[in-house]
Amino acid sequence: MEGLFTFNDQLVLITVLKSCLLPINFSTIEKTAIFISTMRRKQFLSSFTKAGVLLSITPSSIVTEYKNIWHIPEFLQKGDTIGITSPAGTITLSEIQPAIKKLEEWGYKVLVGKTIGEKDNTFGGTDLQRTADMQAMLDDKNVKAILCARGGYGAVRIIDNLDFKRFGKNPKWIIGFSDVTVLLNHIFEQHHCASIHSKMCNSFPAVWEDADAIQKKSIESINECLTGKAISYTTTPNSNNKIGKSAGRLIGGNLRTLENLAGTKSSPSTKDCILFIEDTGEYLYSIDRMLRNLLRSGKLKDLKGLIVGGFKIKKDDEGEQFGQTLEEIILKVTKDFSYPICFDFPVGHQKNNMALMCGVISSLVVTIQEATLTLNTVTEFD
Amino acid sequence: MKIPQPLKKKDLVALTCPAGYMPAENAASCIQTIQDWGYHVLVGKTLGSKSKNYFSGTDEQRRDELQAMLDDENIKAIFFGRGGYGVSRIIDDLDFTLFRKYPKWLVGFSDITVLHSHLYKKFKIPSIHAQMAAAYNGSGVKTESITYINKILTGKKNKYVVKGHRFNNAGKAEGTLVGGNLTLLTNMIGTASDVNTKGCILFLEDIGELLYSTDRLLQQLKRSGKLKDLAGLVFGGFTDGKDTDRKFGRSIDQILKDISADLNIPVCFHFPISHGRENLPVKVGAKYSLTVTEKKVTLQEV
Repeated sequence: MEGLFTFNDQLVLITVLKSCLLPINFSTIEKTAIFISTMRRKQFLSSFTKAGVLLSITPSSIVTEYKNIWHIPEFLQKGDTIGITSPAGTITLSEIQPAIKKLEEWGYKVLVGKTIGEKDNTFGGTDLQRTADMQAMLDDKNVKAILCARGGYGAVRIIDNLDFKRFGKNPKWIIGFSDVTVLLNHIFEQHHCASIHSKMCNSFPAVWEDADAIQKKSIESINECLTGKAISYTTTPNSNNKIGKSAGRLIGGNLRTLENLAGTKSSPSTKDCILFIEDTGEYLYSIDRMLRNLLRSGKLKDLKGLIVGGFKIKKDDEGEQFGQTLEEIILKVTKDFSYPICFDFPVGHQKNNMALMCGVISSLVVTIQEATLTLNTVTEFD
Repeated sequence: MKIPQPLKKKDLVALTCPAGYMPAENAASCIQTIQDWGYHVLVGKTLGSKSKNYFSGTDEQRRDELQAMLDDENIKAIFFGRGGYGVSRIIDDLDFTLFRKYPKWLVGFSDITVLHSHLYKKFKIPSIHAQMAAAYNGSGVKTESITYINKILTGKKNKYVVKGHRFNNAGKAEGTLVGGNLTLLTNMIGTASDVNTKGCILFLEDIGELLYSTDRLLQQLKRSGKLKDLAGLVFGGFTDGKDTDRKFGRSIDQILKDISADLNIPVCFHFPISHGRENLPVKVGAKYSLTVTEKKVTLQEV
């Protein structure tokens, strides 16, 4: 029975109640579950253990239910440990000092991974070193969140060598963006686990007081996600916005990386999701081509909404003007779909890069004047 | 499966630009050469069009012209003026009903990889991966990369014996030849044009990519299962490759070697299929044998 204790609260609860054949209807289960999920896992598990009801659970019922359960890792409390590792590009210890300082100010302990200060050309250590460091953090029960130090390129070279078995049983927050889109989407698709898309160590300002307000707000939004605060963001006006209201599971990230995941087991199933995309340093024709991959592979057709973040566009070569703006490109590839679309969302390779929670149900309200995204971290059933 | 018929003298050949813009004068030598081979040439309006942007015409203009050429029974082959980017924007709006009844040779590469893959994936109809109009200019017209196109068009099976490379993994394989431009092949993964590579000989080439980017594309091929059941692997040219300010630290050859290290199939490097001057024409979707040693490589249609 020991393995059972490591499963998600909701799963255990449903399985327990169903297997006990209690005369209880589903809505009652749901209400009870939401109540119980606010308790710490150990407390509520121990209450069932005392009651002795765990004995009647069969492994087969666990397997079938597991696939439909979405995990939201436990929110952090002061004194919890955050690990810092670099799954992609190389970074020095001094470069992550501002991040360490801020995390400690927030009340966390910091575990600096072995990849920090490692260097294999562009990589933060060899593939083996980066795998081992991430693996150690995934497996360490004391580490409650893993903050990736920076992006660059490298996560796809290690992702298939990572063992997520322990992580699946004890999910924790994985934090980052850009190349880290690989990890966020992988755990979304394979483990139905929430994660945080946000700035990384290399974006924490060296002198906090000198940084501009929006950069500070972007950094602080990471802690708001980690501590389970209510999160809602509103954009500036864009006349190209496609108005509408919807709700869906939030997923997305770097467009180039999302295209690169196509056909692999890390590629997200986007049906009924709100997809967000951002990219940097790409030509318009290349953005169009990547979007054609998403369109042609069916990733755009069943969305509940599309959020377009920052796109730093590489200027067309002389005489090769693409002839369409980013907005025109997006509206053209989505012309057959009726879901809301908003532009200029504060996510991307820019100062205004607010922390988003992948894998949680979110609501999107888009008007011409503005768009508002509200993240809902209340656990729910599929 | 239907195979396009070999061409005869006085057959009609069409020229169109389904992707990037091309000035008409850049295709003059190509048109002359096709006429010298004994064919009549029909030139589409997309060549030297009035387009003021990247494309040779709007999506509708490019699609309509290619559609008309696909549908016209009198046209026995379609030559593409240039690649660039654009076929992905029209491929799903093309109707291949008549083409399937009367298949014809399609000749091009780079962005045309989308058409090669699509035709093979959907209809098992072979097409020709070969140089396009600009390569016929100057002394280029005399290269085997151009002259062999007509050999293929007239029904001759091609056999290439080229020099080896110290990284080659020796062995013999036989299978359907598929492949083309690496960026486009990965861009098609998950779409209706995405080729199943099981049992195939895969060839790859690319141009102007950063080293890390090529590595990333190859990782995608590997992760999506495109490499694991191959019969053979042919690395063509990876021309005009660039590096980032912070060096990637691996040469292109090393990147290719690393990704193919544990495949246990014949693998060859620097095969003359590329965006460079050497770009030997091959039939995507036809059966080939591949014999690789360190000294030489033989790629032969069977």
